[in-house]
Amino acid sequence: MKLPALDRRALYVLLFLAVALPLLFPIGLVGSVSKSTRQFHRLIESLQPGDVILISFDCEAASWAEIGPVARAVILHAMKRDLRIVGTSFLSEGTALGYRLLSELATEHGKSYGEDWAYLGFRPQYVAAMLGLGESIIREYPKDYLEQPAESLPIFAGVQSYRQIKLVISIADDSMPQYWVEYAGGRHGVPIAAGLSAVMLTTFTPYLDSHQLVGLVSGLKGAAEYEQLLGVTGAGTRGMDAQSSAHLAIIVLVVVGNAIYFRGRRKS
Amino acid sequence: MRLRLPLFLVTGFGVALLLQYFIPLPAGQAFYSRALEWMQVIFAAGLLLGGANFARLHLKRAATRKDERPYSLLALAALATMLVAGAVSIGRDSTFLWLFDNLQAPMQQTVFSLLAFFVATAAYRGFRLRSVESGLLLSVALIVMIGRIPVGELISPVLPQAASWLVDVPAVAAKRGILIGVGLGSVAVSLRVILGVERAWLGGSQ
Repeated sequence: MKLPALDRRALYVLLFLAVALPLLFPIGLVGSVSKSTRQFHRLIESLQPGDVILISFDCEAASWAEIGPVARAVILHAMKRDLRIVGTSFLSEGTALGYRLLSELATEHGKSYGEDWAYLGFRPQYVAAMLGLGESIIREYPKDYLEQPAESLPIFAGVQSYRQIKLVISIADDSMPQYWVEYAGGRHGVPIAAGLSAVMLTTFTPYLDSHQLVGLVSGLKGAAEYEQLLGVTGAGTRGMDAQSSAHLAIIVLVVVGNAIYFRGRRKS
Repeated sequence: MRLRLPLFLVTGFGVALLLQYFIPLPAGQAFYSRALEWMQVIFAAGLLLGGANFARLHLKRAATRKDERPYSLLALAALATMLVAGAVSIGRDSTFLWLFDNLQAPMQQTVFSLLAFFVATAAYRGFRLRSVESGLLLSVALIVMIGRIPVGELISPVLPQAASWLVDVPAVAAKRGILIGVGLGSVAVSLRVILGVERAWLGGSQ
C-alpha cells in the first residue's frame, strides 16, 4: 500500500523543531533514577579521596553529544570526591575529547595536573595496551599526552599497575568495555565500569548481571539521572528534553502513518 | 616457504601465549611482556602503512582523475595539516585541538545526527500494523520509546517499568544468546587459526 505523498521535508522540519526547541527553551523534564545509574553513583561514593581511577575515552566524536554528558557527570562526581584521575584513550578521536573534558573540569575544580589528574593519551593497539597496563603503567606510557615523562608526575608515585587502580571506567560508544572486561578485568582483576551510548545498553547488561562490570550508566537518560543524583543540571538533563520531544514526534509520526495506512486500506 | 613461515609463527606464538597464561613461569612472563611490546610496534607500523597508502591513493587520484581531484587534494591537505599541527603541539590551546574541536568533531557529529532524520522517516514509512508480528514490534517500540523518557512516567508509572522489563529481559536474553554464540565462535576460529586449519587470513587463494 503506497502512502499518500507527504513531503519528507515536512518530517525533517518537524523533527528539527522537536529537537531544537527544547534545547533553546529547556523544560527540565526529569524521571526516576534507574538501578544501574544508582549503582554506579554508589560505586564512586564508595571510593576514598585520593584513590586513583583510570578513565578511558573509547569513543568517537560522532557520538560525543550523547556520551559526553555521561563522561562529564561521572568525572564531575569523581572530582567532587577528590579521586585522582588518570585518563587514556584507545581511539584516536577519543584522545582529544577526553583531554579537553578532563582539562576543562580540572580547571573548574582547581585540580592540578600531575597531582590530581594526568592524561596518558592514545595507544593504538588496545589489547596490548590493556594487558601492558597490568604489567607497568610507566613502561606502557613512558610519556604522557603532553610529552612529559610519566615517571615525573606525582600521581604515579606508588601507582605501578592495575594493582593500585581502584576502578577502570570505559567511556565507550562501541564494544571496548568488553575488551576491558576480558583483558584488564579477567586477567588482572581490576573492577571495570562503563559509560555507554544508549544503543549499547543491552550488549553490556549481561556483563553487569554477571558482575564483570561493576557499574553501568548509559545514554542521555543515564547522564540526566546521574546529574539528578549529583544535584546539577547539565547537558544530560537538557538533552533529555530534546530526546523526549523527539521520541514523541516519532510516535506521532508512527500513529499518523498507521492512520493514513488504514484509511487507504478501507477505501481500497 | 611464503606460506609456512607465517603459519609457523602464528602457531608458535599462539601456543606459547596460551601456555603462558595457564602456566605462569618467569620466562613465560618475560616473553609475554616482550610480545606485548611487539604487538604495539606492529600496530603502529600498520598505522604508518595505512597513512602512506592513503596518501599514495589520493596522489594517484589527484593526478589521474580530474573530476575527483579537488576531493583528493582536500583529503591530502587535511592529512598534512593535522600531521603538522599534531607534531607541533597537542596541548590545550594548540592548533591541533582547535582544528579537532571546530572542524573534525562538528563535521562528524553533523553526519551522525542525520541518523535522527532517517529514523523518523523510516518509522513513518516502515512501522505498519500489517500482521500480528508487526503489531508486536510496533507495540514494543512504542512502549520502549515512551517508557524511556520522563513523559512516560507522567502518563503512567507502569510504562517505564514495562520499558525497562522489555530492555532488561527479552532484549538482553537475545543479546546474551548472541554473545555466547560469538564467544564460542571466537574460540573455535582462534583454535583453527592457531592450528593452521583456517588459512583465509593469509590472503589470496590460500
